[in-house]
Amino acid sequence: MKEINEIRDDEIRVIGEEKPPKPQGWKWLLLLLAGIIVGIIIWQMWPSELTSPVENPEQGVFEPSNEVVETTTVKMPLAKAEETGQGFVEIADTTINDIPMRLYIPHSVSMSLYVGNIDRNDQSIIFAAQAADIRADNGGIVGAFVLEGEPKAWGLSKKGYCAIINDTVTVGVADNSPLFEEATEKGGYFFRQFPLVDKGQLVENELKGKAVRRALCDRSGEIFTVETLSIESFHDFAQALVDLGVDNAIYLVGANAYGWATNVDGQRHEFGDPNTKTSKKWRNINYLVMRGKP
Amino acid sequence: MLKKYLIISTTTDLVRIAPDKIVFISSDGNYCNLVQTDNETRMLTFQLGQVENMIREQLGTDGNLFIRIGRGLIINRNYIYYINIQSQKLILSDVSRFTHTVSASKEALKQLKDLIEKEAKE
Repeated sequence: MKEINEIRDDEIRVIGEEKPPKPQGWKWLLLLLAGIIVGIIIWQMWPSELTSPVENPEQGVFEPSNEVVETTTVKMPLAKAEETGQGFVEIADTTINDIPMRLYIPHSVSMSLYVGNIDRNDQSIIFAAQAADIRADNGGIVGAFVLEGEPKAWGLSKKGYCAIINDTVTVGVADNSPLFEEATEKGGYFFRQFPLVDKGQLVENELKGKAVRRALCDRSGEIFTVETLSIESFHDFAQALVDLGVDNAIYLVGANAYGWATNVDGQRHEFGDPNTKTSKKWRNINYLVMRGKP
Repeated sequence: MLKKYLIISTTTDLVRIAPDKIVFISSDGNYCNLVQTDNETRMLTFQLGQVENMIREQLGTDGNLFIRIGRGLIINRNYIYYINIQSQKLILSDVSRFTHTVSASKEALKQLKDLIEKEAKE
C-alpha cells in the first residue's frame, strides 16, 4: 500500500476542510483545452507503450496448466481479532460466485520476501506463500525482483507488482513502477506476478486452464491473501476478487505450491502440497513471508 | 439531525465510533492505532492516509474536527491541551479522564499552534 495523501513530517493539514473552488468560466475551458492537447501529444509519442500488451511472457515453471488439483476443505473457526500484540493470520472462509475461497488476513505482521528453500520449522514465520514464478528455461526469477535492496532479476513479463518498503506494502499494476528503484534504495522488496485486479477492474490474462488460485490483495488498504478451495480459471478467480471488493490484486503461485498460515491460537494451517519435490534448478524459489512485528 | 459516525470496515469486522470518542490515531507501518476516550486502543488494518480518506469521505466538512500532523498522526482538535514546540511535545487530554502525550516535529507543532491561535481570534 503506497502511502496516500502525501504529507511531510513538518506539515499539518485540517481534514475535511472544503477544497478551494474550482476555476470557473474561461479559466476552466483553458485548463480543459490544455489537458486535451497534452493528452494527444502523449498519446502520439508513446502509442505502443500505452496500448499494446506485454508480448512473449516468459514461461514459468509454476504457471498453472490444465492440471487438476484436489483440495480438502478444512472448516476453521473465524479467528477473533484479539489485540494480543502478537502477529497472527485470521483465516476466514467465504463463497463468492459459487467459488469457495479462504482469506488469510494478517494482523501485526511485517512482510518480506525470501529466496531459497524455506525452513519449514521456523516458527517465527507466521505466513509463507510462493511469490514470483521461476523461469522454466534457466531457473531465474520471472520479472523484476528485489531482495532486501538487492536486485535479483530485471525485466517486465508480468504487469502486476508488489513492493514492500519500510514495512509498507503496495500491490499494483504498472508497466514500470518507481517502487522497484525505491526498493533498491531503501533495502526493500519487490516482485512481479500476473495482475488480477487493477483499481477494482478485472484484468484479463491469456492463460487458460484451471487450478487452485492464490492472490495477494489490497482492499481499501487492507492487505490479505486469498486461496480458492476449488480449481478455478484465472478469469473466474479475478472476477470473484472484484466482487469481493478488492481494489488491486496480483497472482501468487497457485496449484500445489506449499505454504502455511498460523492462526491466533498458534496453530499452523498448511496449504498446497508439503511433499512437492523442488528441483535443484529452483534455487530461486521465493516466498512472501510474514513474521510477527518485533 | 442524526449523529455522524466513522465506520471502519474490513473484510471480517467493522468499527463504528463517534468522532468525538477518538482522541488520536497513530501510524504503525501498514496499520494504525486508534486511541479512544475510554483509554482503549484499537488496531486498524489500514494506513493512516486511508483512515484520513475515510474521515474526509464519511464526515465531510465535519471531518475538520481532525488534524493530520505529519506522516504519523491524526488528532482530534478538541483534545489539544498543551503544545510545546521546543520539546516537541503535544498533550491530548480532556483534563478529566485521559491524558496522552505524543510527539511531532517542531515545524508541525508551530503550525498547529498558529492554527489554534488564528482560529481563536476569528
